[in-house]
Amino acid sequence: MSAVAEQALAYVDALHNLARHLTGNDADADDLVQETYARALRAEHQFTPGTNLKAWLYRILRNTFVSLYRRQRHDPTVGGLDTVDSASQGAADEPWLRDDLELDRLRKVVAAEIEAALMTLSEEARTVILLDLDGLSEAEVSDVLGCPVGTVKSRLSRARAALRLRLRDYAR
Amino acid sequence: MDCDAVRTTLHDYQEGRLPAAAHQAVRAHLESCPACAHAGAVERELTSVLEHQLPQYPASLALKRRIAARWPVATPPRSRWARWRPWLVPALAVLAVGLVAAPVLYVERTAGRATSVRTAMVAEAVNDHLRVLSSARPLEIESGGLHQVKPWFEGRLDFAPVVSFEGDADFPLKGGAVGYFLDRKAAVLVYAYRLHPISLLVFRADGLRWPATGESALTTQDRGFNVVMWRQSGLGYALVSDADGRTLAALAQRLHAQP
Repeated sequence: MSAVAEQALAYVDALHNLARHLTGNDADADDLVQETYARALRAEHQFTPGTNLKAWLYRILRNTFVSLYRRQRHDPTVGGLDTVDSASQGAADEPWLRDDLELDRLRKVVAAEIEAALMTLSEEARTVILLDLDGLSEAEVSDVLGCPVGTVKSRLSRARAALRLRLRDYAR
Repeated sequence: MDCDAVRTTLHDYQEGRLPAAAHQAVRAHLESCPACAHAGAVERELTSVLEHQLPQYPASLALKRRIAARWPVATPPRSRWARWRPWLVPALAVLAVGLVAAPVLYVERTAGRATSVRTAMVAEAVNDHLRVLSSARPLEIESGGLHQVKPWFEGRLDFAPVVSFEGDADFPLKGGAVGYFLDRKAAVLVYAYRLHPISLLVFRADGLRWPATGESALTTQDRGFNVVMWRQSGLGYALVSDADGRTLAALAQRLHAQP
């Protein structure tokens, strides 16, 4: 058996977690993960042994989601690719971020609030936050997203700033 | 390093991803700039919220089974016909010689088939153990004792797992879950030995090609895990753990001793 076939199933929980946060519901997440594994099997000859299989699977999942999303762009439950708006990108300059109460607010954030706030971000912003949270290196995230490492840094920074901005509304 | 540069690298700084020189520069800046130090505290808190509050969504057992059902598995042992078909004509040609060699070949083939069966069953037991451990909720029923765990399986399995060892100081019973062993449901009881989790899988043994060990236990290793398997009263039992073999044998003995 190939390395893909032998090891890929070990990542199904991690893949499903990302899929669920991208799609927002269990049924679509299940479909996305199944399609990811189907595509991984078809493309297993393209996987380079010795490289990060998990990151490779994430890339397939993310590309699958983006391609499916583009066909279902009318779906209002899924944020667009570019919904990190200019206001949120400038979040670091928002006065509320300098508010001494911000830490207290953050500490009171509950699961539903952080999940809802995350879902308001673009697919790309959610992906970069979740992959970072999962411990992928910036080089691996750049491989998943198909962009330079420097771009990952700036996207992650903007995504986290946007998330903090969204949490302000939930945590008040 | 000015404030803008520091703010954009705070997360990398906290994750230890900056080169040594940059790390020192950020640290020095934070010690002298309360505003950036505050921003750093907020970044750290955001990470903490994501790590501790964001819901995690592991794949359901149903999804895992659907994917596994379509997944390529290790090449199964070839049938006798497939094994011998390419060699049939030459074999006939040397039949006389073959008659002499046949007893030897038969023994080797039987041994090979038994090894394949044994390997597949042991691998499945270890996989089940890993699936339980890697699950976000390894225990579907936390143990309040065997008298709580066993009734919980009612209605979830198509058989009653015969287990009477309630756990003791050495091997406390942690809880249970429903798993799968090959094509059938399995009761998974999780015991512990110090920090080592030990999975006991109980499943119907009918229709399974069992290693030729009779009623005696099969003790082996796979991928660093110790495995003990046995049959008793129509049920199959598999103990899997990274605890050492003697420990596992001791637990197997207590389970065997059940009435």
